[in-house]
Amino acid sequence: MQLVLTVNGTTYEVEARPTARLLDVLRDQLGLTGTKEGCAEGECGACTVIVDGRAVDSCMMLAVQARGKEILTVEGLAQDGELDVLQQKFVEYGAVQCGYCTPGMLMSAKALLMGNPVPSEQDIRVALAGNLCRCTGYTAIVAAVKAASGQDTRPLMEMPVEPGELAAEAVTDPDTLAAACGIVEAETGQPPGGPCSSGGSSEMLGFHSAPEGGE
Amino acid sequence: MTEDLQYVGGNYPVHDVAQKVTGELVYGSDFSVPGMLHAKLILSTIPHGVVKRIDTSRAEALPGVIKVFSHENAPMDGFSRARIHPGQDMSFYDETLFSEHVRFVGDRVAAVVATSRATAEKAAALVEIEYEELPAVLTVDEALAPDAPAIHDGGNLLFEHEIEKGERPDLEGAVVVSSCVSTPRIHHAALEPHVCVAQGHSTGGMTVWTTSQGVYAARTVIAELLGLEYHRVRVIKLPMGGSFGGKTEYIIEPVCAFLAHATRRAVKLLLDREECMIATMVRPATRTTVRTACTPDGRLLDFGAASTLDSGGFAASTPDYSIHMCKKVTKIYRVPHYRHEGRVVYTNTPVGGAARGWGAPEMIAASEVHMDRVAAALRLDPVELRLKNMVEPHDTDLVTGLPLGDARVRECLERGSVAFDWAARRARPAGRGRIRRGVGVAAGAHKNGMYGAFPEASNASLKMNEDGTFVLNASLHDTGCGVVTTMRVIVAEVLGVHPDLVAAGEADTATTPFDYGTYGSRVTYVVGECARIVAEKVKDRLLTAAADLLQEPVERLGVADGAVHVRDDRERAIAYRDIARLSQMRHVPSIAASTTYYAVSNPASYSVQFAEVEVDCATGLVAVTDFLAVADVGRAINRGMVEAQYQGAVQMGIGYALYEHLDVDEKGRAGVDGFKNYHIVNAPDMPDVQVLLVEHEGDDGPFGAKSVGEIATVPTAAAVVNAVNNALGTELGDLPLTPERIIAALHGEEVAACSSC
Ligand code: FES
Ligand code: FES
Repeated sequence: MQLVLTVNGTTYEVEARPTARLLDVLRDQLGLTGTKEGCAEGECGACTVIVDGRAVDSCMMLAVQARGKEILTVEGLAQDGELDVLQQKFVEYGAVQCGYCTPGMLMSAKALLMGNPVPSEQDIRVALAGNLCRCTGYTAIVAAVKAASGQDTRPLMEMPVEPGELAAEAVTDPDTLAAACGIVEAETGQPPGGPCSSGGSSEMLGFHSAPEGGE
Repeated sequence: MTEDLQYVGGNYPVHDVAQKVTGELVYGSDFSVPGMLHAKLILSTIPHGVVKRIDTSRAEALPGVIKVFSHENAPMDGFSRARIHPGQDMSFYDETLFSEHVRFVGDRVAAVVATSRATAEKAAALVEIEYEELPAVLTVDEALAPDAPAIHDGGNLLFEHEIEKGERPDLEGAVVVSSCVSTPRIHHAALEPHVCVAQGHSTGGMTVWTTSQGVYAARTVIAELLGLEYHRVRVIKLPMGGSFGGKTEYIIEPVCAFLAHATRRAVKLLLDREECMIATMVRPATRTTVRTACTPDGRLLDFGAASTLDSGGFAASTPDYSIHMCKKVTKIYRVPHYRHEGRVVYTNTPVGGAARGWGAPEMIAASEVHMDRVAAALRLDPVELRLKNMVEPHDTDLVTGLPLGDARVRECLERGSVAFDWAARRARPAGRGRIRRGVGVAAGAHKNGMYGAFPEASNASLKMNEDGTFVLNASLHDTGCGVVTTMRVIVAEVLGVHPDLVAAGEADTATTPFDYGTYGSRVTYVVGECARIVAEKVKDRLLTAAADLLQEPVERLGVADGAVHVRDDRERAIAYRDIARLSQMRHVPSIAASTTYYAVSNPASYSVQFAEVEVDCATGLVAVTDFLAVADVGRAINRGMVEAQYQGAVQMGIGYALYEHLDVDEKGRAGVDGFKNYHIVNAPDMPDVQVLLVEHEGDDGPFGAKSVGEIATVPTAAAVVNAVNNALGTELGDLPLTPERIIAALHGEEVAACSSC
């Protein structure tokens, strides 16, 4: 059966069995394995995606029912490499442990915030009632959703550091380096290259510009 | 706190958090290999019997079906799903890949291998199995009856043990109290189902990708069953969606590995939720009677316990589990005399085995519910009674003979009572209307690894890259709660670099050094200390290399911010990357070290927890309205994750106290087959859990850290049950406290007095 679906802004044409669930098409045919399966009976919420603005359990929806609809999955939350505010807050508030419930939690929370930008704590808990988590006790998840809606500003966790950001932090003072280079030269009888050959050591790692044939 | 720590005690998300929030992380259930086949298990539909005939012809005629395997064409050697090293005592080889003699509804009878999951499922329904039914025993009492049918050769009493320590004092004038508590069989309910992928290679060897807590042990079990040398079996740990002990033992790995070996193909075995519930493992059901004697003013003189544990159809780890039930009470209380006898019994029910806490939540439910009975009998406040009896730091555990270490259970109770405002809340009347309010407290204890019972050790290597970043090589098994991050923080602290400059991977028998895995609350305490020591060794090498370059003695040097500096002249600093690069020119190609660490102690970890509940007397429903968990963690390596893990542990314990149970009906069938009839506490029903850390770093873990993940859930159920009994004036002791049981108790029906004991 031929199906046309729009997932995360991209339109796909897929050939699916009539009994295929939306979850199967997303995971097995489109390779979008961010959407998880935890129970296959609409009870755990791990498979939650957003279909035309509403959070649905993709294990309970046939793929044909999604024909022509706009589907948003966890893979579509970040834009141009920038995390969505919900994703960001899930990181900052320690709302992720094993992370298996996380995609579904994010999508339920996203659907909530799309319709109710400033939900009460009770609204949040009710919106997540169909998303089970065995690791967190929900405290951090609820706090993260609050924070994403601008109602909490006390992040718990440090954000992971961006690649390259830490590289230049460690510095060698030029005099110390010069002395060390001198020691190595005296020991090996050769002028050392590497950090001794140009501009000291404080360059970015991996971008060391030892001149070609500089030794 | 003596040292100035830069990274330890901070708040770090799990290492793969970015991949988790974007959906990028490939979990076991997402993992695939080109050309991979899919397997589907066929499970026994009867609780006890013998497979008389298997007709696979219709199934095998289906296009896409490769083969159906059963006892007829698979090795029938017994294996132990719980064995963590070859030659281990207390391993029971009572299970085979497929059963001919089936012992519970859910026992593995056969497996279909096909080109797709859908085809495998379709074919499984076409396999015809004829059984000869045998009489089944579904409870431990039936199993122990004199004429009960034997589930295994040797009878249904799988294991018996008894321990008696100390001297029984004169009990004249003592107040004697007895109680009985039963705890249910429960489903671990990791959100990700059990999954394994195995690939048989044309070399005859194989690779197994699994969401296990111990790849090295899995390798020994698989290799022996398949008759392979260990080095031909490579087992790789994949990211997993939770475990809680349920993925500790080797249940589907041997089966999946066999299917891959037999077909010389890659095979994925992914269970569905019902299969996870009945065909893997459950927290074993227990019941424990406790009888204590104490002085009229509340000093314990004698503690006696007798417990019975339902092992289900196979032994798994239950004998050891039962033995550990004897090692809890004397970690918490000073008792002159302790006696405990335990029995482990086979029944025709799902297999019991490893579960978070390894006997502690079960035993603590019994002993801490009992302590409230004693308090009531003596008209003492439950906190006061406990304080009169609690151990002090550096006491010795009467049962194990091991030092308890810097045991801060008393401080947990004292500080928690203040933070929870215990006295005022306890004094508040429960109310007489429909809603009654109560508070309860319970103390729990657990261990830190296997020292004392087992040759406890770990291995790690650590190398520095030429840019001053580090790679830790250890067999880590992260179940989802941040083991990898913990190790990175430990190494980072020693070396004075940000944790994000330390890489650490997970276990792979081909590339990472031997380790037992994530068991027995050993990871932070033992593997973490191993990581700290190997980092110290690398630091020594760095300092030695830097001493030459700086022409300073090592003693004058220090590390910080990715550089070695001269301590009293901090301007004189040389970055690690420059040390690395200059050292290479001096024929020191790599700054690296390896180490083996042998554990030297096994102190107790503690938690004291306080619950407030409201019970609706009309419906029997209980709402947990407030909860405080106090944690003796020695030192939090990753504070944010310690708190987060505690919050999740409390959620699990509330479920244990109030909702979760996996009972079987008179035909041996589980009353549950999915989350629609198995209730996991969801967001609206969870209170915000407060966590209070007690940190004294007095033991031998890295920076003083002790275990967290298991102890966190140990006293939760007892605290909730005590709160309900406080609200209602009842003596409920059969967990979970379902609405039916609560209503029955309110109507004075005979439930509390050990209906099941
Ligand atoms: S997998 Fe869809 S709700 Fe659980
Ligand atoms: S983080 Fe593991 S299930 Fe939610």
